[in-house]
Amino acid sequence: MEINDKIRTSKSNDNQTEIQKICLHKLQASPLPNPKSELWRLSNKSKLSNFLDYSVNEKDSKFDIPYPKNSQGTIRLIIGTKFKIKLIEKNYSIQQLSEDELQKYIKEQISFFKQNENWSDLLNLSLSCKNNILGLKINGSNIPPIEIFSHASSNSLNAKTLVIFLEKNCEVELLQVNLGKENSSLSQSTFFCLKENSSVNHGVVSYGENRSNLLNSLNVIQQKNSTYNLGSLHFKFNYARFEISIKQSAGNAKTTIKGMQITKKDEQISTYTKIEFNGPNGFLDQINKSLADDKSHAIFEGSIIVPKIAQRTDASQLSRNLLLSNLAQIDTKPQLEIIADDVKCKHGATISQLNEEELFYMRTRGITLTEASKLQLSSYFQEIISFIPISKDRWDLLDQLLNEN
Amino acid sequence: MVNENLVKDVVKEPYKYGFVTDIETEKIAKGLNEDVIRLISQKKEEPKYLLDFRLKAFKKWQKMKEPDWAGLGYKQIDYQDIIYYSAPKQKEKISSLDEVDPKLLETFDKLGIPLTEQKKLTNVAVDAVFDSVSIATTFREELAEHGVIFCSISEAVKNHSDLIEKYLGTVVPASDNYFAALNSAVFSDGSFVYIPKGVTCPMDLSSYFRINSGDSGQFERTLIIAEESSSVSYLEGCTAPMFDTNTLHAAVVELIALDNASIKYSTVQNWYAGDEEGIGGIFNFVTKRGKCLGKRSKISWSQVETGSAITWKYPSCLLLGEESVGEFYSVALTNNLQQADTGTKMIHVGPKTKSTIVSKGISAGNSKNSYRGLVKMGTKATGSRNYSQCDSMLIGDQASANTFPYIKSQQPNSEIEHEASTCRISEDQLFYLQSRGIEFEEAVSMMVSGFCRDVFNQLPMEFAAEADKLLALKLEGSVG
Repeated sequence: MEINDKIRTSKSNDNQTEIQKICLHKLQASPLPNPKSELWRLSNKSKLSNFLDYSVNEKDSKFDIPYPKNSQGTIRLIIGTKFKIKLIEKNYSIQQLSEDELQKYIKEQISFFKQNENWSDLLNLSLSCKNNILGLKINGSNIPPIEIFSHASSNSLNAKTLVIFLEKNCEVELLQVNLGKENSSLSQSTFFCLKENSSVNHGVVSYGENRSNLLNSLNVIQQKNSTYNLGSLHFKFNYARFEISIKQSAGNAKTTIKGMQITKKDEQISTYTKIEFNGPNGFLDQINKSLADDKSHAIFEGSIIVPKIAQRTDASQLSRNLLLSNLAQIDTKPQLEIIADDVKCKHGATISQLNEEELFYMRTRGITLTEASKLQLSSYFQEIISFIPISKDRWDLLDQLLNEN
Repeated sequence: MVNENLVKDVVKEPYKYGFVTDIETEKIAKGLNEDVIRLISQKKEEPKYLLDFRLKAFKKWQKMKEPDWAGLGYKQIDYQDIIYYSAPKQKEKISSLDEVDPKLLETFDKLGIPLTEQKKLTNVAVDAVFDSVSIATTFREELAEHGVIFCSISEAVKNHSDLIEKYLGTVVPASDNYFAALNSAVFSDGSFVYIPKGVTCPMDLSSYFRINSGDSGQFERTLIIAEESSSVSYLEGCTAPMFDTNTLHAAVVELIALDNASIKYSTVQNWYAGDEEGIGGIFNFVTKRGKCLGKRSKISWSQVETGSAITWKYPSCLLLGEESVGEFYSVALTNNLQQADTGTKMIHVGPKTKSTIVSKGISAGNSKNSYRGLVKMGTKATGSRNYSQCDSMLIGDQASANTFPYIKSQQPNSEIEHEASTCRISEDQLFYLQSRGIEFEEAVSMMVSGFCRDVFNQLPMEFAAEADKLLALKLEGSVG
């Protein structure tokens, strides 16, 4: 089904917002991504088409959050619910972005979008209605942790958009949780703008149910001296793509990414990252882990772009993969594109199964094979999970993953 | 701070093989169509199966599109503006080297290629290919005593037709890619090597490719077959004169190793790279692939790529036999406006197969140097291993170094490791060497040589020395 038709069935031309019109126009020439392009080559075509099969749902049905009820000490927001946010405390303030600010920022971002590279964002913004776009301006420090939820209801395609401005010198912990109900598709686009000297510990946990799909895109712009830490975990989706684009607009910024994807059955989960250094003294430390079992397929593609201006960049990228079944497959492609000469850049990739020597050692100490494997997996997962903010105290992600595997 | 100008001076060494040999050649008219292919086939008195092979490849080529995925920027090639057959005029049959045109021998002497028997001491048998045609092969008789066949492909078609019919196009099929299809349609000559069962080739074999005319393309084809428990080391060198026009070189190399056989294929590629403004130079689009068919067979590629305006080359190994081994050692140096997109493919099909990739890229001037590789573990490749290492060195802030490794695994009981790094010549190390009285250029050259050591160690002795010198020459004046 063509994207344009999809929108039209849910909305007449007159009801479309300006942003929707711009995005639809950009998608008009070729509404679907080019399956031969590097970014979409490995993507499962029938799963993508299944993603688009559901009809667009702008209103959420009541949704029970399966995660800890206790939200004491945290600010919990659900995209799609009507609320006005205006929290002004002594040390910090959290306010909703005005309609104009939102429009202006999103339009500016769209002007850089390319049909193929930013297809997920264009799709999201053409489907996302006003209620499903949340814009926040965060200022100050000692801010309580923030949790933001997006979810897709069964038998529908939901599009949610999140825009966050982090003002100068602001420090915050923010956890985004994307939940997919049975037979659902969720399109989530997030835009982060980190002003000078700001710092964020950002967590993204995406957790699906039977036959749920996810297109999750994250666009981050980092100004000078900002610090962006991302811990992400994607699992239990029939089809999921996590696209990360980070730009250090004037260099001198620090980025750390620790991500993991776990696939089972015939699932396909992929992570695509693009890190651009547009100024000197940039820093990147990235690790991406995949675990593929049964007949599943895990994909990682990461590119690091260091133009001439980005002298003294220090970037490292590591892709570590565990392949646990004869029918599963893993594709990984870390890439470096470098022009600046005074840089330290390196990447590495490994694909293997659980270390046999370690297993043997533990078994000689009387630990059963199942226990030993669990221990190994636990240390494999722990590196990433401990980096996801908030989760480590109240969300028992590790137990969930270990019980799953 | 390292002196920018000094580095630039280091890279400005003129291309010393850029002379043209004034020799009478036989050329056919420009353009490519079925008649041209028939004419080439007729001139070479080929059997029907080969003409059919060419025509089939041509038909496929016509339907194919020139690949653009490597993102190489070069002006479009007009395939109708190329001469597809050019050969030095000579007597019909040459029985000894004395009958070869002395000018030709002089050319190869200038290039430092030991064609004459007096250079026997070097113990290297040479097949020299001038433009499209093999002009001489040395040490044939001695090789024949061991049962080794080393001759031009044209001769092999006449004398060993059964082997050609059996193996030609089995590793690189005619429809493999755009340039392989073009080569299959118009290949004019190349080398053929057959090592019989149990024979270790008594000397290194070498072929030397020389493009002499500016308007003809070179499309050679090399086929090496190593029978059970045999082994051979093969060396390949390439040069061309300086022309303002771009010359197309589209070669195909096929290697076949049976049980316990081993083939070592070394290349020093120094085609003319164009001038500082990027005018002229060879477009080098080469398909090289080896098939480890037998158990415990081994194919090892080592290459030093310093020439060509454009290099598009991925020597690969298909590891089919149990416990077979594939290796790839490469140094690619680009300067001025050169672009190199090179790497390898290691396709692990059989169980317990192993592969090693060591790639060193050095980019200077405004050049672009990319490593592009694929490591694939198939479902049956249990207990297989791969190790890849790709290092890049950047000289100056205008050059670019890219790494694109594709890694795919469908076999849990296998291991893949890949690592890559990018660095520049360390100022501390330069300072240290200079403080010990070592000249700047020599210090740079020593460091580049050290950077490439892992690869040079894999090259046959003579080649290693030549490669080291070549890098130093190419870099003269470029480091800053």
